[in-house]
Amino acid sequence: MPATASSAKAPRPDRDSVTTIRADGSRFFLHPADSRGRWISLRRTSAWVLIGIYLLLPWIPVNGHPAVFLDVAQRRFHLFGATLAFQDTWLLFFLITGLGFSLYFVTALLGRVWCGWACPQTVFLEHVYRRIERVIEGDAVARRRLDQAPWTSGKIFKRGAKQVAFVVASALVAHLFLSYFVSLPQLWTMMHEAPREHWSAFVFTGIFTAALYFNFAWFREQLCLIICPYGRLQSVLVDDHTLAIGYDTTRGEPRGKVGPPDAGACIDCNRCVQVCPTGIDIRQGLQIECIACAACVDACDEVMTKLERPKGLVRYDSQAGFTGGRTRWFRPRIVIYGILLAVGASVATWAVSGVRPANFGITRMLGAPYFIETTSIRNQYLVRVVNKRDVAARFLLTLESDGVPATMIGMEGTVEVGPLAEVVRPLIVETPRAGFPGMFPIRIKATDEAGTFSIVREIEFVGPDRAVAGGVAP
Amino acid sequence: MSEPAPKLPQEPGEDPVRPHVFDGIQEYDKRLPNWWLLTFYGAIVFAVIYWLADQHFPSGTSASRLGEELARIDAAKLSSSSAQLDDNALWKMSRNPVIVKTGEDIFMTTCASCHGKNMEGGIGVKLSDDQWIHGGRPMDLIGVVNTGVLAKGMPTWGPVLGAKKISAVVSYVLSKHPAPAGVE
Amino acid sequence: MPARTVTIYYNDKIVRQFLLACVIWGAVGMLVGILVATQLNFWRVNFDLPWLTFGRLRPLHTNAVIFAFVGNMMFAGVYYSTQRLVKARLASDFLSQLHFWGWQLIIVAAAVTLPLGFTRGKEYAELIWPINIAVAGIWVVFGINFFWTLARRHERSIYVAIWFYIGTIITVAMLYIVNHLSIPTSLTHSYPIFAGVQDGLVQWWYGHNAVAFFLTTPILGIMYYFVPKAAERPVYSYRLSVIHFWSLVFVYIWAGPHHLLNTALPGWLQTLGMTFSLMLWAPSWGGMLNGLLTLRGAWHKLRTDPVLKFFAAAVTFYGMATFEGPLLSIKSVNALGHYTDWIIGHVHAGALGWNGFMAAGMIYWLLPRLWNKPLHSVSLANTHFWVGTVGILLYVAAMWTSGITQGLMLNSTTEGGTLLTYPNFLETLNTIRPMMLFRVVGGGLYFMGWLMLAYNVYRTVKGAQVVDGTAQVFVEDGLPAGESARIGLLAALFSPPVMFSVLGTLFACIWMFGGSTLQLLGLFGTVICVILAWMHFDSKRRNWGDWYDRLLVSALPFTILTFLAAAVGGMIQIIPTVLVNRAENVEDRRQIPYTPLELAGRDLYVREGCYNCHSQMIRTLVPDVLRYGDYSRLGESIYDHPYQWGSRRIGPDLARVGSKYPNSWHYRHMENPRAISAGSNMPNYPWLLTNPLDLSTLAKKLSVQRTLGVPYAPMTDTEVASAVGTQAAGIVADLAQPGTDIKVQPDREIIALIAYLQKLGKYERVQRAVAKP
Repeated sequence: MPATASSAKAPRPDRDSVTTIRADGSRFFLHPADSRGRWISLRRTSAWVLIGIYLLLPWIPVNGHPAVFLDVAQRRFHLFGATLAFQDTWLLFFLITGLGFSLYFVTALLGRVWCGWACPQTVFLEHVYRRIERVIEGDAVARRRLDQAPWTSGKIFKRGAKQVAFVVASALVAHLFLSYFVSLPQLWTMMHEAPREHWSAFVFTGIFTAALYFNFAWFREQLCLIICPYGRLQSVLVDDHTLAIGYDTTRGEPRGKVGPPDAGACIDCNRCVQVCPTGIDIRQGLQIECIACAACVDACDEVMTKLERPKGLVRYDSQAGFTGGRTRWFRPRIVIYGILLAVGASVATWAVSGVRPANFGITRMLGAPYFIETTSIRNQYLVRVVNKRDVAARFLLTLESDGVPATMIGMEGTVEVGPLAEVVRPLIVETPRAGFPGMFPIRIKATDEAGTFSIVREIEFVGPDRAVAGGVAP
Repeated sequence: MSEPAPKLPQEPGEDPVRPHVFDGIQEYDKRLPNWWLLTFYGAIVFAVIYWLADQHFPSGTSASRLGEELARIDAAKLSSSSAQLDDNALWKMSRNPVIVKTGEDIFMTTCASCHGKNMEGGIGVKLSDDQWIHGGRPMDLIGVVNTGVLAKGMPTWGPVLGAKKISAVVSYVLSKHPAPAGVE
Repeated sequence: MPARTVTIYYNDKIVRQFLLACVIWGAVGMLVGILVATQLNFWRVNFDLPWLTFGRLRPLHTNAVIFAFVGNMMFAGVYYSTQRLVKARLASDFLSQLHFWGWQLIIVAAAVTLPLGFTRGKEYAELIWPINIAVAGIWVVFGINFFWTLARRHERSIYVAIWFYIGTIITVAMLYIVNHLSIPTSLTHSYPIFAGVQDGLVQWWYGHNAVAFFLTTPILGIMYYFVPKAAERPVYSYRLSVIHFWSLVFVYIWAGPHHLLNTALPGWLQTLGMTFSLMLWAPSWGGMLNGLLTLRGAWHKLRTDPVLKFFAAAVTFYGMATFEGPLLSIKSVNALGHYTDWIIGHVHAGALGWNGFMAAGMIYWLLPRLWNKPLHSVSLANTHFWVGTVGILLYVAAMWTSGITQGLMLNSTTEGGTLLTYPNFLETLNTIRPMMLFRVVGGGLYFMGWLMLAYNVYRTVKGAQVVDGTAQVFVEDGLPAGESARIGLLAALFSPPVMFSVLGTLFACIWMFGGSTLQLLGLFGTVICVILAWMHFDSKRRNWGDWYDRLLVSALPFTILTFLAAAVGGMIQIIPTVLVNRAENVEDRRQIPYTPLELAGRDLYVREGCYNCHSQMIRTLVPDVLRYGDYSRLGESIYDHPYQWGSRRIGPDLARVGSKYPNSWHYRHMENPRAISAGSNMPNYPWLLTNPLDLSTLAKKLSVQRTLGVPYAPMTDTEVASAVGTQAAGIVADLAQPGTDIKVQPDREIIALIAYLQKLGKYERVQRAVAKP
């Protein structure tokens, strides 16, 4: 990636311009300094737990399938033991809204905690790519110096090594991503065969690797600032009682040297600015760039500890807390979001528990809606039975028609469906012409052989107007 | 904490705001990131290249590409029916036990409810005799199964079963009939 | 030169009027939206009443939301901000009142005629011709009032918001008039002068740019005024305003054909539609970034100020929608998403998120200033925001899921790609049923939020003393403001920026349409032109800047240049398409003109709004061909006034439904769709079985069609009646066959509709094929 070697010194962040965009439109490439402290340690731990989960999900088998395996080729989605078919794709809705409501709920309470703690962009950038950069090129000062340095062999080596490491990391993440869609043994086989054998997967992985590399090696916080809508949506979900990272103006101002008795606690050491991965000065208040990573909190605490002053000049607190009030945790909004989340979760659970190991549908055959025979009226349907398990299954079909005599013709015994297969069968229903009551509903019930579950579908039996029907007595 | 910080001095030589004020609204004249401008130029360059590729060196119109794809599908249908279909081929298939067995399975699950387990007829016509309403040549049977006889209740099986299964099930029906001379 | 101080009294009464109208019509439009969304799930909610069916109410929903809700909001915002930005009272109180009452009358007329089935059968252009004339007239009144005010301004230069308003007024006038050109057959009915592909192209040139110039540019102008006002921050970037205004105005117009990707539309138009849509991404985001980075300096106020919350969220949704749009314009993505709920979700992310939230933010900001009283309840406004965002989340998530699920199912094939996995359309519809329910919940929540706004408005306004704004300006007598700096029309036109643009466009046209050598010349010329322009700009940067500054004090040349920029794309796409001899430019098939009975049936199809759920366009895509038959050719709809290709498949495509089913199937299906298609959500149409067919204007309709170039022989009333009678008798006899036994009078509407449906997909082969204009 182009080293943004330039004569310009680090611009001071202000409210009027974006630090990472220089006056001429070029990029100011940030080198945030290291910060140490409890938040950073916590974040590092949580990030590695998250990465571990991402890594393991395609490995852990649940009910014979990986915990998360989106088998696009077979049109089956395996999620923590449940297997969903194409017809169940609508459950995706619960995933999207569930994530949405969780975002609302968590953000209303804790601000942009998603951005700073859980977003893959932050997790991989801060804890994988920046770590690689740190190991190869040194700390922020060294990195900045390297930017300015002429292209000696040493610089070429360091830069080259870093970029190679970035490409390798990106390729690994891309393959990890692919393993959610292709089973692992298959992925292994594919990786050992020529690219042209799996052209689309190869191209996909290549493009994905390139995109990840571009993003993590160079684009970085620009994604959060300009592209990502969720950061902004989170910002508008914040209210006066939401926790956010902020600077205690009352305590800190007037900032300046240690000494004068009326001076505030802030010594204007600029540590909070140096460690910021998005290039803002937290003392200017909540800003669009802030991903609530808490690096400035640790940085400030470290300085305050050295000065033997109380910590928390920069801290997680609500607007109410910073202005001397108390943070109200139980606000109507939180309660309502909580209720919505609970309702959503129960509806989702109900919907998912309603997902059977089979799907059963009935439609009318194309052509005339009904056929009038000498003594009977006939309707023709098609049933589709989808078996979502990987063993063959048999289903017994039965007909109910609420007192109107109706019989299934030719559908004897059971429908057998192979593992993960779908079967379409004709279903013919007849009723006597005499006493035909006009259109009436029938119910077809499919029961699995073991009798563990059954699915009922209702459909109309159509016929002529009653007057026409009753013509011939049986 | 949220009080605006005092405004910092601008870089020398940079005019901070445009001279004009509209109803109290001022305007900065800042540059957008260069990479953002590049996406715009990139889209324009892509449009030019796409047009060149599409109009000057076309790999075919969408209709012709579709035609090729449909031809591929037809070819797949034909090749999956094991041979170029004609009367003679179907008669031959009807003597092949593997194909006939496949056809029998399909017949029992799909056709028997109307035509009877032994093709004795019922809702549908009897298939075991030599009375054919829509023609008795094997290709006629293929045609009827494919497109159906909607008015009588025989549905269009083409889109449901596909060519391969239809040729198999017709072979099964033919297997209950004597083959004409010349088919071994 | 003597200078004196003049006090200007703004006309804020008109702003208050439009603002209240916006609140009321917004509620009405959303309520109708909830009703039609409910109908998709519960067919009984159609009540078996003609004027309450989905096909007639869906146009009412779209028209109410676009023209009544956003229209009134736009007029309020434009009138409030323009007066202040140009430091002049609106030119004419009479024109302002005429504008307001005329517009409300049009809305009421639309709300009456659409449910009655009076329609032109083109989306967002359904209103019948007398109302069209009224709309055009009132729009001209708006234009005169606006430009007259501009001419009397006390501010030399015009601000970016005004640029967008100018672009809106002239472009909407152009789009509206061209797409509504029609020949009346009666007071309530007309045929558009374009047919088939030409009508489709004109329609989406209009339809797409209704989104651009009715729902986007005026709102961007409003953003440029109200966002810096509310945030009390300077606008982030002037140069960005310049780039994104001109690129948006120029590029947007070209993108219309992306609504017709993979259809029978000629390939070069599809290519233009797709590539220009991709080019639109950066200019659209330019607007978003300018709004966002303006808000950036006031980000810390977001947690308390509902106005800023609404603006920040609106700008974010604008960004999301304008990212999704180019994505959906990529042909392969479009193959999946088109005709599905994904498009509905996309539109509503824009309508609810961008338009609705901008409206709310603007209203909350304006209320205290127009009624001189603090907002009744800030916390209720915040609650509105929370409820609204939850509503949008549910709505958009439901529609994405629904669209992608149905798209995947419809396109899924088995047996090596030779068979559809789900040959029955209803299987895909029934899968997305739960999503259609959740969209109602989401829309309902959003509506609740709007009611909170309405209540807040009511409580604030009630008993308040209205207040009109004033301003003091210094006027130098004798010399009108900015006279010296003005630029003449010729000087504006013959200036480097304009000349380079015109030359570049000319060369690009030569490249597009020229023969093989000319093409090379055109390409070469375009590239040279761009390079020269860039070099000139680089060396004479200051001149270009000065020229633009002078242009900004010269409203007329500015307006003319804006019009040219907006008109070019449409002219290049439409004129070649309209000029070709349509009977020859038909690929290999030509439509057989409808018989009188079929034409009468077609008018019923249009009346009932069938196009709202059924397309008549089989795309050049394998799953479409496998499902519906051979793909639709250009020539197969050349006599269709209006075209009925459709934009959404809530039901299956009907392009080749003719002869697919027996007449009895259609009869029973129209009587009760569920009798035939289990799980269908189509309304019952019992009145078609009993209403007598109105033949009184049929001869006139045929003669208008003949005028429009459909090859009909002149027919007298009796000849028409006898032709109708003969064909109807045949259908009646077929229905009465033993086995179906349907007895029906030959003069019922259902007979005409069956005749029309059975004609769909009938064509004759032609030898001559002309591919490209």
